[in-house]
Amino acid sequence: MNTKNNKIAAIPAEVPQQVAAHNAGDISLHASKLSLALEGKNILRNISFSLPAQGINILIGPSGAGKSTLLRCLNLLHTDWCGELRIMGHHARCWPEGEDGLRRTIGLIAQKPTLFPCSIQQNIVFGLSRTERNHMPENRIEKVLKQAALWDEVKNRLHDQAATLSVGQQQRLCIARALMLSPKMLLLDEPTASLDPRSRQFIEASLLELAQNMPVLCVTHDIEQAKRLGGQIIFMCEGRLIESGDSKSFFKHPNRIESREFLQWSVCDCS
Amino acid sequence: MMTERCAKTLITMLALPALLLPAACLLYILFKGIPALDWAMLSGSSQASAFGSITALWPQITGSLLLMLGACLLAAPVALGGTLFYALIANVTQRKALLGIMHLLVGIPPVVYGLCGLIVLVHMLHWGISLLTGMVILAVIILPMLLMNSVNAIERIPGGKTEAARALGLSNGQLIRRVWLPAAWPGLMTGLLLGMARALSETAPILFTATVFSGVAWPDSLFSPVTSLQTHIFYLAQEGANAGAVDIAWASAVILIILVTVLSFGASALRNIRMDG
Repeated sequence: MNTKNNKIAAIPAEVPQQVAAHNAGDISLHASKLSLALEGKNILRNISFSLPAQGINILIGPSGAGKSTLLRCLNLLHTDWCGELRIMGHHARCWPEGEDGLRRTIGLIAQKPTLFPCSIQQNIVFGLSRTERNHMPENRIEKVLKQAALWDEVKNRLHDQAATLSVGQQQRLCIARALMLSPKMLLLDEPTASLDPRSRQFIEASLLELAQNMPVLCVTHDIEQAKRLGGQIIFMCEGRLIESGDSKSFFKHPNRIESREFLQWSVCDCS
Repeated sequence: MMTERCAKTLITMLALPALLLPAACLLYILFKGIPALDWAMLSGSSQASAFGSITALWPQITGSLLLMLGACLLAAPVALGGTLFYALIANVTQRKALLGIMHLLVGIPPVVYGLCGLIVLVHMLHWGISLLTGMVILAVIILPMLLMNSVNAIERIPGGKTEAARALGLSNGQLIRRVWLPAAWPGLMTGLLLGMARALSETAPILFTATVFSGVAWPDSLFSPVTSLQTHIFYLAQEGANAGAVDIAWASAVILIILVTVLSFGASALRNIRMDG
């Protein structure tokens, strides 16, 4: 993995100016003092970090840390946040193609695979307009299915109902569906939760492959998986960004007591 | 074991009237109405001279169907608009207010709507006793039911589907057309069927606003009065001195039941149509 491209900065809220130290060309996403309250409860508190233009980034933390919510904010599924979010140099709220256009640029894959009641092929092209479907290259579906490590398993049954696939295959189909829109960034919310080891292996391999060309931000609370995927770690707890850095150093020498507690017990107390 | 058997028996005894009473009513109507049915009623070729025993029922059938169709055509787009407002635009307070108002409107007796229609539409707006007035009043009556059914149908769509579609960058229009409509279609059709059945069965409001007893065969325009099966039954049932009139009332009731049954089957067929995104 290219370490230059994998660098990530978790910036404590009190020193946001450190963001400026990054080369703007290397950064595809920059969040500054991102906060969100839902129904009077603070879910995210002053989250600041940047994602480089390529590489895998792991968002880790105990349940209820706000990881999934943060992903939904980055994809503008939540829009009530305050702070600053820049994506490829643009303010997220002023994205040239609007919110829908931004969501096409940032693929988001949910924890539970959600398919539409139609064939495998129709699911893959679900995000495309009729014109885009008519003008897409013939081998486009094959290409994205290969990227999602699913082609060999479904190439002879593209017209079968998507619901006939196993859960692991469905999750890879969701990845293929997101890739069909040629996203510039991929966000995944615990994509391998409740999957069998073989499916997990497939998905992890395809994520590492995809991360060579775009930034991939993957949420997990599985420490072993975070170690396997490597890259850079962003550790969150109770809505706060606690620590971030290179995977190896994070797991060997965590700086914060909360991080050490989480690595040892898979829970932490940040209150 | 004994207690369980007793409980089952008790539940069955309680459930039986729910099935038997409507079935008994239906059988009695069929028993009285079928012998009174005459092809001439449908062909319209036979007309008795006695007041209240005009046997050609086509004008009544047409009037009932026109009122029902007009009411559905007026109410359905408003219900759809209300549903989309509820699902896409309204905040929590507005949603609660909208549903609260709809629950309130469902509970108002239809005769009150009829009275409002008589005062506001017939007299104040000078629409007169007319097809249009009846359609509007029936539309107002079925609107809350249609809207609540549509809202339920949309709310039953798993949240994950909407979110997955949004995450793919689908616009509101695409979301409605490709995700919500196919998923909510059976529920929407059920709501429409209930609305149609309600519009076809309401009598009191159209007595005030749309129908006359006789003298009208086909409405000339939206501002003409009509006759309808349900009010026809009401009028004929009061003609105690004329046994023929009561027979025609029973026959009209059978035709009304057949209409509702046909509509019910039609709506069931529509429910099963698969809406592909």
